[in-house]
Amino acid sequence: MGKHRQSRLKRRQFVAGVAAYLGAGKADTAVANRHVASWDLSTDVIVVGSGAAGLCAALQAREAGAEVLVLEALPQPGGSSVLSAGVVYAGGGTALQRALGVADSPQAMYTDLSRVVRSPLSAEKVALYCDQSVEHFAWLAQQGVPYRGQLHRGHLPPDVGASLYYSANELRADPQERGVAVARGHVADDGSNGGGRPMMGALLSKARAQGIAVRVSAPTQQLVVESDGGIVGVQATIGGALKSLRARRGVILACGGFVHNRAMLSRHLPQLQNCSTPWSGIGDTGTGIAMGAAVGAETLQMEQAVAIAPLATSESAAYGILVNERGQRFVSEDAHDGKIGYDIAFRQGGKCWLLADRHHIVGLRGAHIKEVALANTIGDIASRSGFPRGALQHTVAFYNKFAKLGEDPLFAKSSGFLKPIQGPPYRLFELSVSDSFFPVYTLGGLHTRITGEVVDTLGNKVPNLYAAGRTTAGLPAAPYVVGGLSLADATFFGRQAGRSAGLGRAS
Amino acid sequence: MKSVTALVLCGLLAPNLPAMALEGDAERGKRVFNQCRSCHRLAGSPGSSFGPELGSIFGRVVGKQPGFEYYSDFFQSASFVWTPTLMDTWLKDPMSMYPASTMMSRGVPDPQSRADLIQYLKTVSTDH
Repeated sequence: MGKHRQSRLKRRQFVAGVAAYLGAGKADTAVANRHVASWDLSTDVIVVGSGAAGLCAALQAREAGAEVLVLEALPQPGGSSVLSAGVVYAGGGTALQRALGVADSPQAMYTDLSRVVRSPLSAEKVALYCDQSVEHFAWLAQQGVPYRGQLHRGHLPPDVGASLYYSANELRADPQERGVAVARGHVADDGSNGGGRPMMGALLSKARAQGIAVRVSAPTQQLVVESDGGIVGVQATIGGALKSLRARRGVILACGGFVHNRAMLSRHLPQLQNCSTPWSGIGDTGTGIAMGAAVGAETLQMEQAVAIAPLATSESAAYGILVNERGQRFVSEDAHDGKIGYDIAFRQGGKCWLLADRHHIVGLRGAHIKEVALANTIGDIASRSGFPRGALQHTVAFYNKFAKLGEDPLFAKSSGFLKPIQGPPYRLFELSVSDSFFPVYTLGGLHTRITGEVVDTLGNKVPNLYAAGRTTAGLPAAPYVVGGLSLADATFFGRQAGRSAGLGRAS
Repeated sequence: MKSVTALVLCGLLAPNLPAMALEGDAERGKRVFNQCRSCHRLAGSPGSSFGPELGSIFGRVVGKQPGFEYYSDFFQSASFVWTPTLMDTWLKDPMSMYPASTMMSRGVPDPQSRADLIQYLKTVSTDH
């Protein structure tokens, strides 16, 4: 018995240690049920977080017949999703695609998506999502998320007036490599500016209409664990007092990633520790991940993140060349901003330079990229910039030689953007994760099954614990090159978590 | 003791010193502003239009940007104007200064960073 107690203690200490490492240094993100004197409130399902994952989970749990309480730490609901462009990557022949004459099939979507989401950990999720994407879009529309029937032939989300666009760089990619370009970026649009607000407004209205209680300014502090390891509730601060809230069927953690937690970044994503542009709501502090870890959940992909180079706003940038500190190219300049950003952040030490000639500097000022050299020869640019002797000149000569022929032997840039860098003055701009406008957010989190159930390192589920959105390692992986995949994951797998929790232990 | 005095003079040990007493650097402030861009933009530059546009913010009456319909009731009915001093106080801890505001931000707690940001916002106020 004594030995058993000792090993239990050690495991608990180990779990607490892991939680402290993963989390904000707090190991008290779980409490044993025996320490909870009484429940202040009982419900079927408690959802922690009111972003897209949380509200979709809540709605689906309610559809499954559960009484649902959503706890939002901040005074305003919506999480990071409400700040987003409201883009959901969906396809397979959604109602909107069909209405706009965009041909698609689940198989075509799977082929395209599995080409860019290569993690074997996500394979099952990719297959399920492609199979059910048509139904998922219909469900979102049913909840009242507004879409308007217009196709935008561009690679950035339209500010207003269109609901479908090419969110995965389809228009720029080499047709031979990517096949037929299919528009799959579905943007919520009610005529106002930006899609996040109309999307989350609709989900919130629907949640309230369905009788789902949404409590704001109610930060969840810890999970309550039964002696068998099952989750039976949470403790949250409501009205300044710590309340014990019982969840008869399950708790769903959907409270974002950890880009606003610099301590966690330093441990898992040191490349982003000094990032200037955390691209999320301020609730993304890793608390959901820490709570899951405190009860033994496994974490995955903690070293992965979205990193967006600030180039998409300027077509001109794709005509220039990007070089690293050795004065060498490292990526095709017309690649998706998520690919370029990833390469800069994770492979080039967080910094690179863009060289442009007089033909293609227009528009770069708007991108707020810092100009570091201006000269009439490439040699003068190089000498003012500290590249190894002759390196930049060599790079430009090699690039120009093939650009004249419409070729890029190194990175296969599309011929439309291949023009020799020729014509003074030349300008050199510096881009960096730490100083430029360089949006980043995290992709790592709790390991979940396709049902939304949270699992431990041995693959066993943590009873009655579910998770979704950026609190989990979901569909999106780095490099992030499919616009709308994060919200697709949050909404779709939020629903799976909600359904599983709503059906309760019997499932 | 001398070295402590020196540190205080350098602003390193003066977390409560109002940022307005510090000299701001617009170039550094531009970097600080990047964290604001997840909700705000300046005309002609990247960022989100979730929150109001911030070019020429100083001198404007609070909560009155045409076309922006998402202010809290408090800001909608307010009649005071944005000044650098008010901005400094606000950004120290926005959610405790005006808890009813719809802006979910931890602000810019570091006084020097705040001074830099305000200097940058002054610059773009004259640019736009």
